[in-house]
Amino acid sequence: MSEEKSSVLDWFSRRLNLTEIFSLLTSYGIYYGELDSRKPLREALAEARERPVALYSRWPRILSLIAVVLIGLELLTGGLLALYYLPTPGSAHPSLGTILRDVDFGGFVHQMHFWGGQLLILVLILRVIRYFLGGLYHPPRELIWVFGALLLLVAFHLDLTGRALPMTDQGYWSSVRALEIVGSVPVYGSLIHFLVGGGGSFITELTLIRFYVLHVALLPIAAVILIYMHFSSIRRVGLGGDPDQKRIQPKGVMRNQLLTLAIVLTLVFGLLVTLAVVAPKPFHREADPFATVPGIGPPWYLLAPFGFLEWMPEIVPQWLAGLILFLAFMAFLVVPFLHRSPGGPKKRRIVLVIFLLVILVWVVFSIYGARVA
Amino acid sequence: MRRTSKSLLVMWTFLLLGVVGWCDRLVAEEQCGVCHPESRVAFGESRHAQEGVSCTDCHRGDGTTLEVEAAHRQGFRSLTDRQASPAMCAECHSDIERMRPYNLPVDQYAVYQISQHGQAVAAGDVTAAICTDCHGIHDIRRVSNPASSAYSRNIPSTCARCHADPSLMEPHGLTASVVADYESGIHGRSLLEERNLAAPNCTTCHGVHGATPPGIGDVDKICGACHDQTRQAFLEGPHREAMLAAGLPECASCHSNHAIERFHFEDIDGLCGECHGAESEQATLGTKIHTLVHSTAERIEEAASLVQRAERAALRIEDYEARLEEARTYLTEALPLVHAVTVEPVEQVTRRAHAIADEVQHEIHGELDRTEEHLGLALFWFYVLMTLVILVLFKRRLRAAREAS
Repeated sequence: MSEEKSSVLDWFSRRLNLTEIFSLLTSYGIYYGELDSRKPLREALAEARERPVALYSRWPRILSLIAVVLIGLELLTGGLLALYYLPTPGSAHPSLGTILRDVDFGGFVHQMHFWGGQLLILVLILRVIRYFLGGLYHPPRELIWVFGALLLLVAFHLDLTGRALPMTDQGYWSSVRALEIVGSVPVYGSLIHFLVGGGGSFITELTLIRFYVLHVALLPIAAVILIYMHFSSIRRVGLGGDPDQKRIQPKGVMRNQLLTLAIVLTLVFGLLVTLAVVAPKPFHREADPFATVPGIGPPWYLLAPFGFLEWMPEIVPQWLAGLILFLAFMAFLVVPFLHRSPGGPKKRRIVLVIFLLVILVWVVFSIYGARVA
Repeated sequence: MRRTSKSLLVMWTFLLLGVVGWCDRLVAEEQCGVCHPESRVAFGESRHAQEGVSCTDCHRGDGTTLEVEAAHRQGFRSLTDRQASPAMCAECHSDIERMRPYNLPVDQYAVYQISQHGQAVAAGDVTAAICTDCHGIHDIRRVSNPASSAYSRNIPSTCARCHADPSLMEPHGLTASVVADYESGIHGRSLLEERNLAAPNCTTCHGVHGATPPGIGDVDKICGACHDQTRQAFLEGPHREAMLAAGLPECASCHSNHAIERFHFEDIDGLCGECHGAESEQATLGTKIHTLVHSTAERIEEAASLVQRAERAALRIEDYEARLEEARTYLTEALPLVHAVTVEPVEQVTRRAHAIADEVQHEIHGELDRTEEHLGLALFWFYVLMTLVILVLFKRRLRAAREAS
């Protein structure tokens, strides 16, 4: 190794534990494989490159990685939007107008932020479905499921708070609908209503600033921690499935793997840019809290609970319907503790039927909710 | 001592005088309400009571006594004679000196006498309306009081008391449906449903105390009191002379008299043919004018929906909205001009409105044009595909190298 060729990297290497910093990427699934943090970066990387790629990180198991990249993109675009956005009811809508009209590429960044969020929720849902079908919640992988479900919940809340921030009529009333659904859940609902202010029926200055803090600080931090925990658990227990370790080719595999990831992420980025340009989210009018805009339902992923609440007959008190929703969510969260061992093919078939039933019920209530709205 | 008793005496005298005065007031106050409590209560609501008019000012007689005989002497009049009653009101209401402080007109009795109502009463038909039929008997309120039967919004129902009663109308050859027609028309809906006090009630067109149906030749003057522009255009056109000659009421021939509806552009098409014949020159002219107005209105609506699209695409629309408002104003100007039945003036203003709407549409289409963005997207995908090709080639080389080793 010549002195001139490696001067900058080595200069930092002698002053910082670069390997440890780089291993953070490993923690977020960007560079699969363990790094020996005691060795200098160059040496550690050379060693890791030749190591076989663990089965859990091989194509096509990259949904979590796509989620990480999307979260990164949301942080970046969100940071840019925060430079111009003003979180007060009077100036929120005009400030988004400024972003869309006057700031260079403001509209593009806004659309990327919106579509990135939608794609993130989609990826997180797909991830949960894949964990379920792959049986990735049996011991010792319970936490992978729990973190996945919690991350989905955090993403829902990120989207909900984000929708209200521009104070457009569509966003405002869809947030109010969502708050109504959340408010039907006993205890949790009243807690949320207390926390966001305005009693859950309209959005005040306090609500907006709290939504803003949740959206730009607390929830992103929670998401970053959860995804770190997820990868931490995966590195400990693996993604299981096929234990056929022989399929792993020992040499030069890591580079191959990174190239595959680069291809997938390029495609995802391409899709996102295409959506942002071809299907921009419309800039709706400023919300008037005293004029309900008819025909606005909750966001698409909350249509099923909304449909369920609307479908419930009048006699059933709201708190009971909310309690059923809450119990359904808790059951979803503790699936790994309810169904511990994979069992034989017969039991697997039963689980598959239950899964299909749940999906069917969800779809039916979503369609019903959309029609009611 | 003496001074004290003197002052006590003075005090005693004043007290006695006060008591006597009070008793005097008791006696002097009108006692009519003791026997006529209902009339007294109704009168208490009236403007007359507020202004200190007393029972005996109209009824004469002696109001200070409780003796029936004595009270109804001194020229007492019961005022049940419907024919004589209006003249009694006029005793005060035609008195310039008395009415001046209230700024009330004093010619109303004279006007009433030449009205259809007044003439009928004078001719002995006591079913025709007299003052008290519309204003109330004892409980006469100010016309500006919403509780008054002569308040603007209450006038249609007040007129309806007689004019919706077939048994009263038929002997005079009148229809009893006029008020219902009025209420279903645009003027009635505006006054009664939208509570627009500027909308005309019965008296706006027929006169108040001089109520008379307007004759042919007067209709355009009455409608023109509000619809001035329309009347000016109508006078310039050929229709007025022709209608007078044919004995047709001017505005009412097309718009009807009581059940007046807002005119829709669609209705104008073919309307001319109804009198002039479908194949006539005039029908063609009507179709032409209709097309001018109709196409302009459509253009403005198209532009308005485009402005909404522009708003959703985050364009600035304030300027477009202001210009469309201007175009709408020109269109509003065109509607009265239609009544002159000549193409040029209508074309002049609709052309302006048309031009503005076209200009707005053109500019928004220009701003909404996303060709540049789509070209950029194509370029972006070119780079993405290049990147993908390079990555795939790189992968293949890796695999080849691995297989070779």
